Amino acid sequence: MQTEKNAAAALSAEDFKVVGFTQEEANRIERPTISYWQDAWRRLKKNPIAMASLAVLAVLIVLAVIGPVIRGYDYVTMNVPEKNQGASAQYWWGTDALGRDLFSRVWVGARVSILVALVATVLKLVIGVLYGAAMAHFGGWVDDIMMRIIEVLNSLPHLLLTILVMMILGNNMFALLVALSMTAWCATARQVRGMIKQLKESEYVYAAEVLGASPMRIILKHYVPNMLGILILNASTAIPGFIFTEAGLSFLGIGLTAPDISLGVLISQGQATMDFYPSQLFFPCAVLCVIVMAFNLLGDGLRDALDPRLRQ
Amino acid sequence: MAKYMLRRLVELVITVFLIATATFFLLEAVPGDALSERADKLPVESRTALYERYGLDKSMMERYVLTMKRMCRGDFGESFVYAGQTVTGLIRDRLPVSARLGLQQMLLGVSVGLLLGILAATRRGTIVDYLVVGLSVLLISIPHLVFGLMLQKIFAGSLRWFPTIGWPSGSELWLGGWKYTVLPTLTGAFSYIASYARLMKTSLLDVINQDYVLTAESKGLSRAAVVRKHMLRNSFIPVMTQLPMSVAMCITGSFFIESIFSIPGIGQYFVTAVHNQDLAIVLGETVLLSILYVAVIFITDICYALVDPRISMPGVSK
Amino acid sequence: MNDVKNILEVKHLRVSFHTYAGEVKAVRDVSFSLQPGSALAIVGESGCGKSVTAKSVMGLVKKPQGEVKEGSEILYNGENILQYTPKQWQHYKGGECAIIFQDALAALNPTMRVGKQIMENLMGHKHMGRAEAQKEAVEMLRLVGIPEPEKRVRQYPHQFSGGMRQRVMIAIAFACDPKILICDEPTTALDVTIQGQILDIIKRLMKKNNTSVIMITHDLGVVANIAQEIAVMYSGIIVERGACRDVFYRPRHPYTWALLQSVPRLDLENKQVLASIPGTPPDLLNPPVGCPFSTRCQYCMPVCKNRMPENTDFGGGHSAACWLHHPMAPKVDMPDRKGDV
Repeated sequence: MQTEKNAAAALSAEDFKVVGFTQEEANRIERPTISYWQDAWRRLKKNPIAMASLAVLAVLIVLAVIGPVIRGYDYVTMNVPEKNQGASAQYWWGTDALGRDLFSRVWVGARVSILVALVATVLKLVIGVLYGAAMAHFGGWVDDIMMRIIEVLNSLPHLLLTILVMMILGNNMFALLVALSMTAWCATARQVRGMIKQLKESEYVYAAEVLGASPMRIILKHYVPNMLGILILNASTAIPGFIFTEAGLSFLGIGLTAPDISLGVLISQGQATMDFYPSQLFFPCAVLCVIVMAFNLLGDGLRDALDPRLRQ
Repeated sequence: MAKYMLRRLVELVITVFLIATATFFLLEAVPGDALSERADKLPVESRTALYERYGLDKSMMERYVLTMKRMCRGDFGESFVYAGQTVTGLIRDRLPVSARLGLQQMLLGVSVGLLLGILAATRRGTIVDYLVVGLSVLLISIPHLVFGLMLQKIFAGSLRWFPTIGWPSGSELWLGGWKYTVLPTLTGAFSYIASYARLMKTSLLDVINQDYVLTAESKGLSRAAVVRKHMLRNSFIPVMTQLPMSVAMCITGSFFIESIFSIPGIGQYFVTAVHNQDLAIVLGETVLLSILYVAVIFITDICYALVDPRISMPGVSK
Repeated sequence: MNDVKNILEVKHLRVSFHTYAGEVKAVRDVSFSLQPGSALAIVGESGCGKSVTAKSVMGLVKKPQGEVKEGSEILYNGENILQYTPKQWQHYKGGECAIIFQDALAALNPTMRVGKQIMENLMGHKHMGRAEAQKEAVEMLRLVGIPEPEKRVRQYPHQFSGGMRQRVMIAIAFACDPKILICDEPTTALDVTIQGQILDIIKRLMKKNNTSVIMITHDLGVVANIAQEIAVMYSGIIVERGACRDVFYRPRHPYTWALLQSVPRLDLENKQVLASIPGTPPDLLNPPVGCPFSTRCQYCMPVCKNRMPENTDFGGGHSAACWLHHPMAPKVDMPDRKGDV
């Protein structure tokens, strides 16, 4: 208050000359506009948990790639004299029931599990997008039939169907990939169909058409960016799900089996010796959980970052 | 309303039929001869008789028709591996076991999950919120089987508080022998707790930000009344749509849990049947489980329509 | 000047929101008063703080993101409602003061029957039993002009049309004979003919119960229809206020004048340029030090950018906050508009 009074006394005639405003002053928008993706990335960066998960995942992937070769052990041939050892300087995580280095085996297993999940996710997305786009594009009775097929597929718990497929195709990697993606594409197809239908009717696509944009341009500039967000989210929830399922199937003996190596196989092997050598169970379990948790947390962070309603 | 239900019922039957057909032909593609193991040990005449008995001497289409007819009569087939054991018999023996496990899991998991979700949403940003969220993430990230193994190892193996495997039977089947049921129930319940807590929290938070909550507050209602009368019902709607998924999880989760704890339920036998390539059992159980699942979806749909008046069902006048 | 005691007095209201990006100062020192039985319109562009002001009077500013700052006073019949205990708030909300919102569909619980939503209010404040409240709810619907109220009272919000829903909101608001009704852009989402009907209902009920109304709107037509007094808000402060007559025909703030100019008129000549106010409102995260309208004002002076203008009183309750009325300012002709004085 005091300073104001003093300042008031200092008002001069100069202060009261009309100057008006300039166009750029008037139009200056205080906050810089940033694109959707920039904003999403910025939000993601601010989320400490998501960034931590990203870091953990990066480390995991690196380990999955180079882990098996770090110690230089052959993780396949049996080495019976060294069996069932605990953690030591030589064998960082000990050995399994056949004397093989657990550390290497776990990372090979992780590599396999992650790869399977990634490939299955890609398959799921590709099939889902194509199927969903076809449904949205053709509409009419084609759409109806295709929808019915999905509904029938969804009337079974997915795991059942997966197991059935495994029965037919055997216990190998190819079978696993087919079985995993066989039911998963339904959800993606539905989402894509819904999204494209919405976009087709949406006003800004209409506006673009009215302004003379070619179909290709519409697809690239409007459909794809909107779908990308959904697909990313889809993928981030699918990957941990697949890792889970593979581990579970292999554990039951329906997925991959020995001598193939995956986290599920290792866990089932670990269970056999659980009472006496718990470390053989512990390490594959721990790695499995960390991978899945990291993906889940990252997925959560992505979902928050990509949600247009939370835009700032 | 009745018209809607009838229509859905018909769709249900058709769907089950389609599933049965699809499964049948799927299983036809399984390589190998399921009976060969048994048949090899028998002299030739018995062998033909064996094949005849199981109808494997007929063509695929004939077998298909036969199987479908039998299913309509309630006969879901006989085991290839263990003579005399029928699917219906199996179900009769094992269903109560799985049902009890499933019910206990869902009751415990869903109720605790919903409570935690409500807590987390109403005390948003506080330590309670972070705890609940953290717990949920943790629980979701640990697969059933790992959890089960861990629980088994720690509480049964090391601490010896509970028996490692087994399940009550006979007179104790439903209400007794809780010792055996604790660990398996917990294993299954935890993932429900996690997913329902998260679901309830997001749903409730969504509702909290709605305008009608503002209107309710502007009427001078107490906080508790607003939560009770306006928020809960609306936030339960997404929870209802999640329920069929949970039943599915229950069914498939039982495969793992029953295997780990050696519980004589439907899931465990399914796994065994798959290993034995016992196609008849697999077919029968698959159809039965899908019937169960489809029925649950049906019931949930009805409940959903009852709870949310915005769902206008065809045939219901406004 | 005021023989009649003001039923509501808002003094130096300041409200901020704490967001990710910082503190958004939504309302920066707003003061106005409301006389019983009269209607005050608060007018301004989107984002100028009028909704937040309304919500503060209703006590709907959510903590902890929203904060009504120290030094703010809202006096209802002399009592500062900002100091109310929760019990007093419960009595005040709905009983003494009610609010209706812009989007009636979003503002009504979609899974609760309309009658029940009215009864809630009744049973809470008038302590009626269930049967009595039900009868009263039907009467309220009849009062706001909904046909077949006995049938409609059991229906759900989505079964009503937009205008009907708004009437339902009015019924809920008036159920307990509030002394103050706040209308937050109630007609913005409705088309013009319905708009007229809704305003008529509000006016009728106003007269019946001697209720005072605060009408938040950006539509000057609505103001002319219902309000006796008007307060023009810009960027969190009130730039001009007074009786409608005074403000409409003798605007004293460049923003008010520009607003009035920009209303499209049917009697203009063909091809005359549609006037609009160039530029955009300032960011409330970092509000400018001086007059917020300075970047868009054709009369802007250096002092405007440096200091917040003081309020100049023109008598009869008409005042404006603009440096143009300072004795040192040049004489500027803000032409009086056509019409009687």
